[in-house]
Amino acid sequence: MKVLLTCTVNGEERIVLADTRDTLLELLRDRLALTGTKEGCSNGNCGTCTVLVDGQPVCACLMLAQEAPGCDIVTIEGLAGSAALHPIQQALVEHGGTQCGFCTPGIVLSAKALLDRNPQPTEDDIRHAIAGNLCRCTGYGKIVEAIAAAAATVRGS
Amino acid sequence: MPPVENHARPASDLKVVGKRLPRVDAKERVTGEAIYPADFSLPGMVHARMLRSPHAHARISRIDTSRAEALKGVLAVVTAADFPELPIGTMVPMGETGYDMWMVAQLNMARHKVHWVGQPVAAVAAVDPHVAAEALALIEVDYAPLPAVLDIASAMAPDAPVLHEHVVTKGIEPRPRSASNVCSRTVIARGDAARALEQAPATASISVQVDTAHQGYLEPQVCVAQVDANGFATVWASTQGQFTAELMTARMLGLPLSQVKIVPLEVGGAFGGKIAIHGEAVAVRLAQKCRRPVKLLLTREEVLQGGSGPPAAALIDIAVAAGKDGGLTAIAGTYRMDAGGLPGLSPSLVMQASAALYQCPNLDLQGFDIVTNKPRTEAYRGPGGIQAAFAMEQAMDALCQRLGMDPLEFRKRNASVTGSLMPIGTPFPSIGLTAILDEVARHPCWTDPLPRRRHPTGRGLALGYWRGTSMTSAAHITIAGDGRPMITMGPVDISGVRTTMAQVVAEEFGLPLADVYIHTGDSKSVGYSDGAAGSRVARTTTAALVEASRDALGQLRARAAEKLQCPPDQLDYADGSFRARQPGGAAISLPELMQATLTDGAVVGRGVSTKLPLGVEIGAHVCDVEVDTDTGLVTVLRYTAFQDVGLALNPAAVEGQIEGSVVQGLGWALMEGFDYGPDGRLRNASLLDYRMPTALDVPKIDCVIVETPVPNVPYGVRGVGEVPIVPPAAAVANAIARATGARIARMPMTPERVLKALKADI
Repeated sequence: MKVLLTCTVNGEERIVLADTRDTLLELLRDRLALTGTKEGCSNGNCGTCTVLVDGQPVCACLMLAQEAPGCDIVTIEGLAGSAALHPIQQALVEHGGTQCGFCTPGIVLSAKALLDRNPQPTEDDIRHAIAGNLCRCTGYGKIVEAIAAAAATVRGS
Repeated sequence: MPPVENHARPASDLKVVGKRLPRVDAKERVTGEAIYPADFSLPGMVHARMLRSPHAHARISRIDTSRAEALKGVLAVVTAADFPELPIGTMVPMGETGYDMWMVAQLNMARHKVHWVGQPVAAVAAVDPHVAAEALALIEVDYAPLPAVLDIASAMAPDAPVLHEHVVTKGIEPRPRSASNVCSRTVIARGDAARALEQAPATASISVQVDTAHQGYLEPQVCVAQVDANGFATVWASTQGQFTAELMTARMLGLPLSQVKIVPLEVGGAFGGKIAIHGEAVAVRLAQKCRRPVKLLLTREEVLQGGSGPPAAALIDIAVAAGKDGGLTAIAGTYRMDAGGLPGLSPSLVMQASAALYQCPNLDLQGFDIVTNKPRTEAYRGPGGIQAAFAMEQAMDALCQRLGMDPLEFRKRNASVTGSLMPIGTPFPSIGLTAILDEVARHPCWTDPLPRRRHPTGRGLALGYWRGTSMTSAAHITIAGDGRPMITMGPVDISGVRTTMAQVVAEEFGLPLADVYIHTGDSKSVGYSDGAAGSRVARTTTAALVEASRDALGQLRARAAEKLQCPPDQLDYADGSFRARQPGGAAISLPELMQATLTDGAVVGRGVSTKLPLGVEIGAHVCDVEVDTDTGLVTVLRYTAFQDVGLALNPAAVEGQIEGSVVQGLGWALMEGFDYGPDGRLRNASLLDYRMPTALDVPKIDCVIVETPVPNVPYGVRGVGEVPIVPPAAAVANAIARATGARIARMPMTPERVLKALKADI
C-alpha cells in the first residue's frame, strides 16, 4: 500500500509517496534518491546506514518510513553546507580514515552526534561512539585519530 | 617506444612517490557521493531477487515458476534452464589456474543438484523489491534430499556420500577409479622429514582446526544490467575485475565477448570475495527477458548464507624438529582445506607460504582440496595463509619452548635469506626477512617489559609470508588539451591504487598530484587486465604506467622538438616543460605544447605489464595479550606489524592496508567463525551473530615499514595488502600460550574455547 508522507530531511520539507513497508533507509535511498546513506545489513547490525534523527544517531534500516513525519532527519548530504567539507569529513580525508568508503557516511554521522554533545572526547569516548559502525578496511586507528583531530578543529573554530 | 628502466630510483630523488598524501578519491567517500552499484539507477529499472536452496545436498526434480510469473508486477523469472549447460573444464583465465566455467555457472544458478544451503535455484525481476520477494515464495521447487557431508573428516571417510560423480582425486598414482570428495592431493617434499623428526633432540607438533569465516565486506553484492535494442549487454558491477566478470558473464550466457560490457563502479570492500560473478549473468538474462534494466541485490543474509563464498575451513597438522643448536631439521605438514560445495584450489600456495620463511633441509608437506556441502569457498586476502600460519607458527613457538630458545633468536637462526631455497626448490629473490627481524629486536614492542595486569599477560611473535602474483595489467595515458595526463587503468581499485598510481604518473611527468586525472576503464575502454587480487595491482600497474608515461613523453618530445626547432635529443624535460639544452634555450610547457598541437592528433601513451618479477610479502608481528582466566576472554593490549614493502608508494596507504588486514586477522583469530547446524544451515547468518571487530575490540595497530626494493621492478614495489592478515591468529595464540601455558588449537579462539583449553591444562 502506498502512503503520502511529509518529513523534514536536511532542513527541507519533503512530500513523498512511500510504500507502507518502506524503512526510513528505503525512503531516503529509493524515494528521495539520497544515496549517500548506504545499506550494509538492513538489520541494524553494522551501522552503515546511520543518520541523525533529532540529533541522535539512528540506523535508518530499523525505522519505518511512516515514523519519519515530525522528525528532523540529517543525512550525509545535509552535513556539508557549502563547498567546504565538515571538519570531521576533512579530518577523515587528511588522516586516511576512509578506504572503500562504504561505512564512511555512517561513521561521519556517528562522530557528529558525539562531537555535538561532547566537544572534548577521549579516545575511549570516540571508540564507544563509533562502536556501532563496522569498518572492514581501516582497522579503526586512522578513523579514531581523525575524529580526535576534528574535535580539536571544532573546538578551535 | 623508449626502454623502461627497470631499476628503483633513490628514494631521496622522489617528489610525489613515497609521500604521505590523502587519497585522490577521499572527498567523494566522506560526502557519500561515491557511486556503488546499489546507488546506480536507470529509467524503467526493475528489481531482482534470487531464490536459494534450503537444502545442503539435494537433487532438483522439478521447478515450476508459473505462479510467480502470474503475480502482478512480476516481469521475468529465470532458472538454470535459461542458461546453456556448460561442460566441466571450460576455463576462463584468472590467477594461477583460472576458473572452471561449470563451477562459476553453479555458483550463479544450480542445475540438476544443489550442493549447499543458499545456492541459487531461480531469480525473479519485478516492479519493486517487495513484489520480487513475494514472488520468490510462489516458485515451486521439488527437491529429493541427499545425505550431506558437512565437515572435512566426514567428507574424507571411505563411505562418505559423494558430491560430484566426475571428481576423481588428482595427484595420486595410479589414478583412482572411483569418485571422491578429495579433489586433489599436492605434495611438496625434499630430504627425509620422517627420519629427521625421529632423530631430532627437540620436536613439537600441533593439530589445528580452523572454522570458516567471511571476508566481511560491508557492501553486499549488487549489480545493474541493461540490454539494448541490439542485444548488447552492459553491467554496472561491484567487482574485483571487469574483464574476469565479462568473460564469466558472456560464457555463462553464451554471448560473444563483444556483446558484453562490465562497468566497474566503486567497490565497498571485496577482499577476494568479488572476483567471481555473483548474479551478473542472471541479471542480464532477466533484463533480456523483460526488456527493462534490472538491479539484482543480495541481502546481508544471502551474502552470509551461501550467496557468496567464504574462505576455507581447515584441518592442519604440523610437526617440526630442530637440533640442540636451534637449527631447524624438519617440517612435516598435512593441510586439509575445505573447498565447500565445488572443487577449490590446490593448497600448494598455502603449503609453500607456511614453510617459506625457514631454511630447512627436510620437508614433507601434503595438501588436500576437499568438497563438503557448504558454500563454495572463495579467496580471502592471502587465501589460506592465516589458517596455515595458525598451525605452523604455533608449532615453531612450541619448538622454541622445548629448546628453551628465544623465539626471535630461533627465527634469526633459521630465517630464509636472498638466494636460500624456497619450499619448491627455487632460490628466493631479494627478501628482507633478516632486516625485519633486526627491526623487531630493537623495537620497544619487543624490548619493553610485559605490562602487568590483573590477569596473565603474554607476548607472541609470528611470521607471515605471501607470494602474491603478477599477471597482466594494462593502462593508457591520454594527454589532455591542457597538457595534463589522464590515466585510464585496467585494474579495479580496491586498495587505494588510484592514489598511488596517480602518484607514479605525477612523479614520471614531474607534475603535482593534482594535475593528474585517473580512473579505471570499463571492459570496452582499456586493455585486458586481470582482477585486483594477489597483491599485484600496485606493482604491475606501476610498471604499466611507467611504460605509458615514457611512451607519452616520447611523443610529446617529438612535438616539442618541432615547435622549438631543436633535435629531440637536445631537449631536457623537467617539471612539465621541455627546454632546449643550449644556453638561453627556448622552453615550452606541456599546456603550451598541447594547445599549439591539439589538432595534430591525440597523444596516447600505452603500457602493459605481464610476467613482472614477483614482489613477495614478508611480515613479522608482535602482540601482547591479557587472558582473563575466569572468562577466557583474550584482550589484545598492543600490536605491532613489521613488513617489508619494497618501497612504500604512499606510507599512509600502506599503513591503512596493514592496519585493516591485521584487524581482519584478529577478528578471525578471536571472534569470527561460521556456525553450521547439522542440516548445513548457517546459524549465525547476520552481522550480530557473526561478530566482526568493532572499534572497541582492537587496539591501535602500530606499523613498522621496512623497504627492501625488488630488483628489476619499477620503484622496487612489493605487494602489501595480503600478508598482514597471515600472522595475527598465530601471534595471538603464541601470546596466549606464553601467558597461560595453554595452546589453543581451534580458531576462532573464542572465550569458551580458551577457557576449555585453560581448564584442560590445569
